[in-house]
Amino acid sequence: MRYKEYNTNNVLEKCIPIFWEKGFRGTSIQEIVEITGVNRFSLYHEFHNKEGILYNTLELYQERYGKRKFEILNKEGEIAVVLQEFYLSFLQCQEKYQGCFYIHIGTELADEDPKIKELIRTYLSSLEATLIKRLLKEKKTKSNPDFYARHLVGLFCTSMSFCLIHSEEKKEYHIANGIKVILNKTINHAASS
Amino acid sequence: MPQVLNQSYNQLVEKAQALFWVKGYKGVSTKELASCLDVSTSVIYNKYTKDMLFLDSIKYYTTTFSDPFLKQLRETSTGLNSLRNFFYMLIDALLDKTFPKSCLMVNTVVELRNTNHEIVKRYKSYFDSLESSYKVVLDKAISSGEIKYSDKKDIYAEFLLGIIFSMSILYKIHPKEALRAYIDEQLSFIE
Repeated sequence: MRYKEYNTNNVLEKCIPIFWEKGFRGTSIQEIVEITGVNRFSLYHEFHNKEGILYNTLELYQERYGKRKFEILNKEGEIAVVLQEFYLSFLQCQEKYQGCFYIHIGTELADEDPKIKELIRTYLSSLEATLIKRLLKEKKTKSNPDFYARHLVGLFCTSMSFCLIHSEEKKEYHIANGIKVILNKTINHAASS
Repeated sequence: MPQVLNQSYNQLVEKAQALFWVKGYKGVSTKELASCLDVSTSVIYNKYTKDMLFLDSIKYYTTTFSDPFLKQLRETSTGLNSLRNFFYMLIDALLDKTFPKSCLMVNTVVELRNTNHEIVKRYKSYFDSLESSYKVVLDKAISSGEIKYSDKKDIYAEFLLGIIFSMSILYKIHPKEALRAYIDEQLSFIE
């Protein structure tokens, strides 16, 4: 058995920052060759094309970074505090890249690339499912977890875009405000049906 | 310079704006920009730079696509329902591609963040005018008794500011009915 001279995940890991910084269109294959040290032929052989590299990079991002952040939602504690920690985990100033790679790439490409659209849909559904699981444990939200989860996903999309230009204080305020508005809502059965 | 002879600067900005809207700032090369504007690359290097065209594209976007909607919103007398109509119009524009890709301001926030001082100034005036328009509507809804908790005006305005951002992602993956239902529910938080 012949081992590849490079590790696929290490190659993809190196692609995250360049796609993040320059966008998909702004990144050339030549730059990917330079940053990964893998030649064009091998890249195409492994990933088919530049799109293929991006799709795999997104999956690696979720595996290595996203999942760990989603796990915050399973923590014990007051739900508003846990949610605040979850959203802010994407926006910490010590994070090399603030925001969410999926929202970033989705903003650029989801309109014209059906595969990206599908990846964003799957990503946000998985976030929604994780939120629902958590909301089911709360007295206030357990009878309508879908409703609250839908709007907390909306707040996620907002936080991963709008908050990118906010100061630390403004970020915290915007997110806390959003959580409060959503969780304060009492749904009666007529409204939820 | 014969290449630009028959085009006014405003016409160039209009074309550039359409290109930046779909491809973003970084995704447009000088060559592509020149070819879209039907000028030589030296015009972009020496006369109308990419940065200059981009800044003016943002200005063009604001005055053409955003200000008229906001003016209409401020002048309405139907309270929260006018917000509903405003967001429904936005959904239609996104889905029928009158807005070819999201909102140019939102795209720019995600792509360029705070890296350009001039653009940061544009964000501020754009979001200030959005917020003040929302507040005009909230004030009317408060005086008509439509909003119970008048002390929450600022909280609601901040919450409403987020909607164009969440819509800018959600329209890409949800059908019209789901988006409208989402807006209805978002507005139900204002009580």
